[in-house]
Amino acid sequence: MNRYLPLAITALAILAMATLFLVIAPGMQIGAQGPSPGLNPYTEAEARGRDVYVSMGCLYCHSQQPRSIAQAPDAERGWGRASVAGDYAYDNPHQLGTMRTGPDLMDIGDRLPSQGWQLTHLYQPRAISSWSIMPAYPYLFEHKDKADPGDVVVKLPPAYAPKTGVIVAKQDALDLVTYLQGMKRQYAPPADGLRDDGYALIAAEQQKQTDAAKASN
Amino acid sequence: MMSDKMKKDPRLPDETFEPFEETRRIPLPVYWIAIALAIWGVFMLVETSHSTQVADKARAQLDKQEQTKTAQVSAPDPAAGKALFSDNCATCHGDAGEGVAGAFPPLHGSDVVKLGGAQAVTEIVMRGIGGPLNVNGESYDGEMPAFGSVLSDKEISEIASYVATGLNDGTKTISASEVADIRKVSGDMDPWNGGAELAGLINGLPAQPDAKTPAAKGPDAKLVAQLVNEGTDTVWSCASCHGEKGEGLETVPRLAGLPAAYLVKQLHDFQKGARFNDSMAYVAKGLSDREIIDLANYYAGMSSPSGATPSLQGDLKRGAQLAKEGDWSIGVPACFTCHGPSGIGVAPEFPGIAAQQPSYVAHQLAMWAGGARHNSPLGLMAGISKALSDADRRSVADYLASLPPVPGSKPADMVAMTTSASAAKESSNDQ
Ligand code: HEC
Ligand code: HEC
Ligand code: HEC
Repeated sequence: MNRYLPLAITALAILAMATLFLVIAPGMQIGAQGPSPGLNPYTEAEARGRDVYVSMGCLYCHSQQPRSIAQAPDAERGWGRASVAGDYAYDNPHQLGTMRTGPDLMDIGDRLPSQGWQLTHLYQPRAISSWSIMPAYPYLFEHKDKADPGDVVVKLPPAYAPKTGVIVAKQDALDLVTYLQGMKRQYAPPADGLRDDGYALIAAEQQKQTDAAKASN
Repeated sequence: MMSDKMKKDPRLPDETFEPFEETRRIPLPVYWIAIALAIWGVFMLVETSHSTQVADKARAQLDKQEQTKTAQVSAPDPAAGKALFSDNCATCHGDAGEGVAGAFPPLHGSDVVKLGGAQAVTEIVMRGIGGPLNVNGESYDGEMPAFGSVLSDKEISEIASYVATGLNDGTKTISASEVADIRKVSGDMDPWNGGAELAGLINGLPAQPDAKTPAAKGPDAKLVAQLVNEGTDTVWSCASCHGEKGEGLETVPRLAGLPAAYLVKQLHDFQKGARFNDSMAYVAKGLSDREIIDLANYYAGMSSPSGATPSLQGDLKRGAQLAKEGDWSIGVPACFTCHGPSGIGVAPEFPGIAAQQPSYVAHQLAMWAGGARHNSPLGLMAGISKALSDADRRSVADYLASLPPVPGSKPADMVAMTTSASAAKESSNDQ
């Protein structure tokens, strides 16, 4: 070992290359994009709800990145169109997630817009789907003898309802649901939006070309 | 000391010796591999950038569709009008607007068109029409869907101008901005109530039959509105998922205008577990038989604009082919043979599928193919769904989403308490 300098320079150069191509260049590309037209900044309640989403760690089981038709049948599942970079413009930190233990939530506000459903489901997922493995979040709710004016009472089937009194949602639960209801990504994606469409699109395009060539012969 | 001693011993290796290697040339194959890797890298870079270009094109097209919907170009183009007519109107009124005796009135030589011109055609296309109507002395009593929510002002102006001047010998066309003015006034109104209401629009229209008065709202109207908008202590409101106007969204289906008997059967099937959906099973279990019938009648009678847009990147041409002609090479009959012209449904068994949410349709077809939805009479849809490929399912779903919505059912097709009790029994016999 007597050539420390060239070794160190090479190592740094490799690191710099990787940083340039994996961090700086994409950062510039995405930074120039700005928010997708049609995407609104979070309202105050939605922003609070997002904080609840982050602190509850929903990300560990739910992704927020529907894939394109070429990669997965996400659109058919009702999970929405493939997302583009601009869709996350107001997300810091983003909640892309990698696990799909539960369904993708990017477009949940279009698919399950009901506040009532969301509250019941957060209080006790098993009240709706007996097989659900999602944890219940009873501590986002309060057991009261009687609902006060302005309280949102959670609708529950007899098997899960308390024997007396009612279950009402705490502010955190209401905010979280407001955030989920606002997750609507059905607006048309910008034509120059960045996204990974995989190789199947190329295959489809090539197929079209060969079909056209065959038809013209 | 030790080392000195050992150094002196010639049999032992020299401890201070540094191993050393002459610089040797890097073997040629290594260069080849490096060059090949670099070329491959460049090639992949070009390939993948091609991938985003393809997607850009697809998205640009989506954008264009969105724009043409709102674009305002005047001077209607007669060739475009003819093409739009055969895409949108010919399934019912015939290729040359000749009509079908007793079912669909003619447009060629129709006194309605002759007297009302492009203006009246626009009004009818925008709002749709249902109920008793006399055309050229023949009486009709059908339902025509409202195209206002699926055709742009420009498209309607081209169709109306073509019907007035191409199919008939009128001279006056209508411009997109005039159509826009009509849309502002009547875009949201219910369909024309037969010839009686039309007579107020068109001067000198020959005598028209009396309009049917819409069924009086039952005493339960308030209870139904409560269920729809607020729900009960245990059940969420229908509108919170199915939309204010029953138009649906994504995997939540459009309910407006589906046959009442069909809706009753589906709700009973969710209740009994014959059709699976956790959310709807929960809802249906919380409803009484009476409530189910009232809700079914409420949604069946609803006329509301389309809430669907093609969103699955399906091939609309292929979708139109499957819907109108079917594809015998894979054994699929035309969807419209059962689901009615233009997919508006045939009460009581065949639900309307026009303007249904595309994600919902594709999802249901996939569920029939996989066996998860198996409550259909005679398994008709299962066989069809299995024959369709993944891409076909998306294509037909997207095409259906581009159609004008199913109009509200006639009072005659509503379900009464007694008939539905027996209908429920029948459907339990199916199982
Ligand atoms: C689903 C079938 C259907 C489709 C599609 C349809 N119509 Fe109709 N149309 C009808 C029926 C049925 C009536 C008669 C309604 C009644 O009895 O009240 C009618 C009536 C009319 C009338 C008034 C009567 C007449 O014959 O002059 C006009 C005008 C008309 N349609 C134009 C159109 C145009 C233009 C299109 C295409 C944009 C179209 N229709 C698409 C079914 C349809
Ligand atoms: C939590 C959201 C939600 C609520 C609330 C809800 N629905 Fe649904 N509904 C759905 C979904 C999702 C489906 C599709 C089920 C499937 O995929 O099979 C559906 C399907 C249906 C269907 C079958 C439609 C068809 O075309 O086959 C009927 C009928 C129906 N709902 C009626 C109602 C009525 C009436 C209410 C109110 C009492 C209601 N729903 C409340 C989500 C909901
Ligand atoms: C042989 C007659 C027949 C043909 C052809 C047919 N269908 Fe159906 N379809 C039915 C019947 C019957 C039902 C009602 C099922 C039930 O009651 O459960 C139905 C229901 C449906 C539904 C569910 C509607 C809802 O609201 O849930 C969809 C979607 C559908 N069909 C799509 C199609 C498509 C797409 C095609 C053409 C590729 C097609 N159908 C062809 C008979 C048919």
